[in-house]
Amino acid sequence: MTSQSNGQSPVVEVQGVSKQFPADHNARVHAVTDVSLHIDHGETLAVVGESGCGKSTLANLIIRLHDADQGRILLKGVDITDLKPREMRAHRQTLQIIFQDPFASLDPRVRVGASVAEPLRVHKVATKEEATDRVRHLFELVGLERSMLNNYPHQFSGGQRQRVCIARALALKPELVIADEAVSALDVSVQAQVMNLMLELQQEMGLSYLFISHDLAVVERIAHRVAVMYLGQIIELGSREQVFRDPRHSYTKRLLGAVPIADPRQRTERPLLTGEIPSPVWPAGEGPELVTYTEVEPGHQVADE
Amino acid sequence: MTLLSVTDLTVTFDGFTAVDSASFTIEPGETLGVVGESGSGKSVTALSIMRLVEMGTRAKITRGRVELKMQDGSTLDLLGQDEPTMRSIRGNQIAMIFQEPLTSLNPVYPVGEQIAEAVRIHEGSDKKTSMARAREMFDLVRIPEADKRIGQYPHEMSGGMRQRVMIAIGLCCGPRLLIADEPTTALDVTIQAQILGLIKQLQVETGTAMMLITHDMGVIAEVADRVVVMSQSKIVEQGPVDQIFHSPREAYTRGLLSAVPKLGSMAGHDGPRPFNLAGDLA
Ligand SMILES: Nc1ncnc2c1ncn2[C@@H]1O[C@H](COP(=O)(O)OP(=O)(O)OP(=O)(O)O)[C@@H](O)[C@H]1O
Ligand SMILES: Nc1ncnc2c1ncn2[C@@H]1O[C@H](COP(=O)(O)OP(=O)(O)OP(=O)(O)O)[C@@H](O)[C@H]1O
Ligand SMILES: [Mg+2]
Ligand SMILES: [Mg+2]
Repeated sequence: MTSQSNGQSPVVEVQGVSKQFPADHNARVHAVTDVSLHIDHGETLAVVGESGCGKSTLANLIIRLHDADQGRILLKGVDITDLKPREMRAHRQTLQIIFQDPFASLDPRVRVGASVAEPLRVHKVATKEEATDRVRHLFELVGLERSMLNNYPHQFSGGQRQRVCIARALALKPELVIADEAVSALDVSVQAQVMNLMLELQQEMGLSYLFISHDLAVVERIAHRVAVMYLGQIIELGSREQVFRDPRHSYTKRLLGAVPIADPRQRTERPLLTGEIPSPVWPAGEGPELVTYTEVEPGHQVADE
Repeated sequence: MTLLSVTDLTVTFDGFTAVDSASFTIEPGETLGVVGESGSGKSVTALSIMRLVEMGTRAKITRGRVELKMQDGSTLDLLGQDEPTMRSIRGNQIAMIFQEPLTSLNPVYPVGEQIAEAVRIHEGSDKKTSMARAREMFDLVRIPEADKRIGQYPHEMSGGMRQRVMIAIGLCCGPRLLIADEPTTALDVTIQAQILGLIKQLQVETGTAMMLITHDMGVIAEVADRVVVMSQSKIVEQGPVDQIFHSPREAYTRGLLSAVPKLGSMAGHDGPRPFNLAGDLA
């Protein structure tokens, strides 16, 4: 699934990556299984799927917070699969992540203004004054008051903290931002403002995004391509139009069909699910069957059922 | 018979007013949706009802009443109660699902333990019974293979699984009022539907009322009976859900509704498209 549309390497390329974690009773969680994807310069790839299907693990593999059990990860054509965390630091200017849990990713003892300015200082991309200026400007762009720069993380609301993390990820002007549920705590107005900022940066600087989200209406609006994950594997991948207009896999259809409509006159009764819950946990030595794909249209891959 | 009545609630942090004269009521069995701007005081309102807002912060509840109707028919102003009384209210009468699960779950205890402990405190049951109940809750919130999961620690679960553990803790005690602060932000829409259905079932069976704080207007449309809209520390509008969606009175509410992204809005467009900003239509 490599593409070289403009002769450049993709910003990131994930080749057959797998990751397991230990669980009780000698079992293993097959969090990510044989995932391959790439993201081009200036492109947004959205990753959607069931809670627990491996999206955050995939993100953590790409930033090398986890070691992959199998497969390769290439950043702008450079193999980073075996880099040590210290060696990854050199790539922080290329790759930034907004973690799913904003509180856990901010140092509780550091004023947020300093947290956002820190990467600028570490990478010597700005003088102290320039850094302060840029941080102030970014705060304004994500709708935070300047006076809040001196506050500690616990003094913010959930959505304000999320915006601090967004500002921090954008401060270094990276080439790829992994956004893991990055706008989930924002009201729709602020969300629109922040998403528009992200779109503008993409237009101006060719920024790429790996956008993990449960909000399918937002995904539809901003993604170029969409990958649907289920139990650790990609089960459908295609352009936004292909996946939203012509979903082929039964899980993709189920997901799109479950989006609640923002109109109390169109309520739907959904019966409670009971019985077997699909699971990525396997006894040692066993594992899921690898899916095979059919390309139903150019660029639209669907797992065979 | 009103279950909870909040009157003129005002909360400040070092002179900054985070909640300004908020008044609303919650009836038994009812779902009150709370929506509005990020930073407008929704979580602070919820934490004030629980009397958790002053803990470890500079918050002061400077005015107001938070009256809870007790089972014996008497009324208790929660703002006047001491910590031991509040602790028993929190266990048995009001449960809260916090906005950020990672910070409210204990990182050094297995998740199953944490659910079982809540059951034990509430029901006084033994270890075996409470663990069985925890396992049952895992199934209900659709976390697979309870046996292999129950001993895991919070950091070994996905964001949405942690959120479901929080929900299980909130539901297992059968509270009279459930305060749920953004309970489904990490859930995909199929599991979200399951969780909302589960809460609905509990409401029908036991008459539990819910105060549901969320940015997801789809969820509000689906489950709320009435809606409170907050902006800049104030309640700017409240009313039945149909009225809020179909004849909102305030410009802020109209702007909010017009900014809701709708599935299917991109048919016929290629490439990403900027969002409408609230106020574009105003
Ligand atoms: N511990 C604190 N110290 C100082 N200010 C605080 C503290 N907690 C909250 N605030 C401030 O109070 C205001 C209301 O916060 P609150 O958490 O209630 O917002 P919210 O409506 O829940 O927003 P969100 O939708 O982003 O979660 C915010 O401006 C926030 O910065
Ligand atoms: N450090 C870990 N140790 C053990 N298991 C883990 C660990 N991290 C993740 N897992 C497991 O891997 C699976 C995938 O988790 P992941 O966080 O990637 O899901 P997700 O798709 O991001 O879900 P959500 O939408 O709920 O955030 C889950 O079953 C989870 O329990
Ligand atoms: Mg996740
Ligand atoms: Mg909040």
